Amino acid sequence: MSSTPRPLQQQVTLVELVDRVLNKGVVLTGDITLSVADVDLVYVGLRVLIASMATLEAPEAEQA
Amino acid sequence: MNEAPTSRGDEIGTALYVYGVVPPSTSADLFAGVEGIDSHGLVQLVAAGELAAITSSVPLDEFDEAPLERNVRDPAWLEEKVRAHDRVLEAALSGGTVLPFRFGTIYRGEEHVRKVLSARSDLAKTLARLNGTVEFGVKAFLDRAAMRVRLLAEQGLQDDSPSTGRAYMQRRQVDRQVEEEVRNLAADWAHESHLCLAAAALDGRMNQLPQPELSGDDREAVLNGAYLVRTEETEVFRRALAELEDSYADDLAFQLTGPWPPYNFAEYQEQ
Repeated sequence: MSSTPRPLQQQVTLVELVDRVLNKGVVLTGDITLSVADVDLVYVGLRVLIASMATLEAPEAEQA
Repeated sequence: MNEAPTSRGDEIGTALYVYGVVPPSTSADLFAGVEGIDSHGLVQLVAAGELAAITSSVPLDEFDEAPLERNVRDPAWLEEKVRAHDRVLEAALSGGTVLPFRFGTIYRGEEHVRKVLSARSDLAKTLARLNGTVEFGVKAFLDRAAMRVRLLAEQGLQDDSPSTGRAYMQRRQVDRQVEEEVRNLAADWAHESHLCLAAAALDGRMNQLPQPELSGDDREAVLNGAYLVRTEETEVFRRALAELEDSYADDLAFQLTGPWPPYNFAEYQEQ
């Protein structure tokens, strides 16, 4: 029996959450529209969140 | 910067963030004490016809186009706002039904929100379809290495590196076959799992598999499904998943998330 390291439940939920909130749901044209130029918002979202989770584990290194 | 909450709106200007829509009969009490996407803006319903929008006011210095584009690139900001968006929708869901909007749907004022609701009566139909439902997410992960060992063993081989040139060439061929078999089997399993889960739900979606480097997970996902389930049939769905876990015990690891507001089914329209 091999035991694979399980990701934290919180991390799983956050990834699922970001995918849904940024990627799903009814799309309406609001008065203010979010257009992250040429970059898929979900991609940005997940990348920054993964990055933020990585820095949570490391000692505070940088402040953007 | 924001020392005076009461005068904030006058000084900076605000807009209305819309989380989603609920039936107009929905009680505003559901949102009492629920913090919205901006801590100064109370969550309130704006009704028009058969729909009520869940809204809260947001400061333009944070949510106008230019600052918004900057802010979404800030991990801490984005995480906080994404959580708030979901928190408000979860509160709405506890009242029975909600149709989620995508993050970042913002209007200049209530009148604009009402106008949009009036123009989109189709949303009321979708909302009616979603009445009494929740969404569950199911991912299935494959232990590719373990599967490879097993398939090799079936051919009387071990997962080692052959020492002679001839054995090496043979092994390369076997490896290619094994890889293909793993790929085909995984796709079959994912499809079969999806059908089983969808049969225990009102509707199901197979979403794109997450990019491994963005999934926060080292394992290889073979299924990324979303399922619309009647609240009272949650146990039926869980049982269907438990059966899959039993039958694929050696091969797949399933991960259930939810209940969620029905994010994946917000675009559902009868053709």
